[in-house]
Amino acid sequence: MAVNLQSRVIDLRRKLLAMGAEVEQRVALAVAVVRDGDVDIARTVRETDAEIDAMQAEVENECMRLLALGAPVASDLRLILSAIRISNELERIADMAKGSCKRVTKLVESGSYRFPPALLDMAEATRTMLRDVLVALSNEDAKLCLEIRRSDSFVDALNREVMLWSREWITQDVHSTAAAIEILAIGQRFERMADIITQIAGDTVFLVEGRILRHGAE
Amino acid sequence: MTFVRPLTQEPSMTSPHSPQGVPTEGSPPHAPSAVAIRNLNAWYGSFQALTNISLDIAAQRVTAFIGPSGCGKSTFLRWINRMNDTIPSARAEGTLKLHGDDILARSMDVVELRRRVGMVFQKPNPFPKSIYDNVAFGPRLHRVYSKSDLDMLVEQSLRQAALWNEVKDRLRASALSLSGGQQQRLCIARAIAAGPELLLMDEPCSALDPKSTLAIEELIEQLAERYTIVIVTHNMQQAARVSDTTAFFFEGQMIEWGETEAIFTTPTNRQTEDYVTGRFG
Repeated sequence: MAVNLQSRVIDLRRKLLAMGAEVEQRVALAVAVVRDGDVDIARTVRETDAEIDAMQAEVENECMRLLALGAPVASDLRLILSAIRISNELERIADMAKGSCKRVTKLVESGSYRFPPALLDMAEATRTMLRDVLVALSNEDAKLCLEIRRSDSFVDALNREVMLWSREWITQDVHSTAAAIEILAIGQRFERMADIITQIAGDTVFLVEGRILRHGAE
Repeated sequence: MTFVRPLTQEPSMTSPHSPQGVPTEGSPPHAPSAVAIRNLNAWYGSFQALTNISLDIAAQRVTAFIGPSGCGKSTFLRWINRMNDTIPSARAEGTLKLHGDDILARSMDVVELRRRVGMVFQKPNPFPKSIYDNVAFGPRLHRVYSKSDLDMLVEQSLRQAALWNEVKDRLRASALSLSGGQQQRLCIARAIAAGPELLLMDEPCSALDPKSTLAIEELIEQLAERYTIVIVTHNMQQAARVSDTTAFFFEGQMIEWGETEAIFTTPTNRQTEDYVTGRFG
């Protein structure tokens, strides 16, 4: 198989961004599910997760082919290495969105439930972070990535509010324990998504500048 | 760390990272320089082939020159051992020093210079003599050896060139009976036997099969423990595999120079990036 590295790298980038757009759509739906408790939308998110898995496998296979056959260097090499990581991270975000939808469905089907205001704020903030990181990836904007990494602490703070709210709810009404645990789990999903988004921001900085931003490095 | 010179900018004698007035631009940190080049300009007649080249070739390291055909890298190499003296229209200005000795000086003994600076060419070019005589040719030219000393020197050189085990039983056979890869290693042994400080290799593997190429690349790595090596190559992967530092040439100018790892992962200059990724050249 002949490898035209330049055109294949452009195609790889397109595939990665397309995957990002699909994942963003699922996260947006997951946020809507938290807001509206719509179990039909939740089912759609859960049932279409395999499409994301397939996209991730396609990106990863293409990266492996290009590494083996194209001998990439410099920006091509950085894009391929980043694509392996980012596609994996996007797939995990989609899994988190699916997990959140599953928990909300469980709550809705259990009958009475209520959400802390911080949970929806957290979900919205996570969605905004994902949208921004995909813009940064598309525009190769390392500066925006550094801002995104800093905004992770905002989501962490909201998650702490969700935890306090859940604890208080359990204290007030012991019968709410099961629902509160589900809410904690939903909060944990979005908090984890935000963490993964900061990793994508770090990978994008590596793509643009060749700097490795992990393990707390700035 | 890489050092980039815009095409339109005059070369600086001083690194922004070095103390004022210390001409160490581009030199890897703490690596002593074997060849120091400052503002080297070279012409063939009225055609300027090299423009304001300044760099330090670090001792006992492998430096790769890369760039498209006609960019000046071979011309540059040929000035380091004054091979261009044989071209009447060739002339050069600037500073080119081998361990402090002015290579371009009229007083430079060119025969002695070529002993100090060995050269390996694109196509293996053994003399139509025996394997032994090929290796002994240089040493015999420069001084008189006893037979036992010469035998020892030939064996040492062939061992260093990773060829001894293959030819030790047929040293009197014609060098032309060897395979292409063996002939190239013989040429390296011949260069080593003269006791060089610097080895110049002008696309040494371009005429060799992959196995012989691998053997030469492994040899380069071993030789770098004793010698300073400069290699010109069109094979980007080879430059990435064998060299410690890489200099990218384009249209007679040195565009970027730095640690090979940096040149092939995060080049600073757009032209370098485009060249190493195969977008031009």
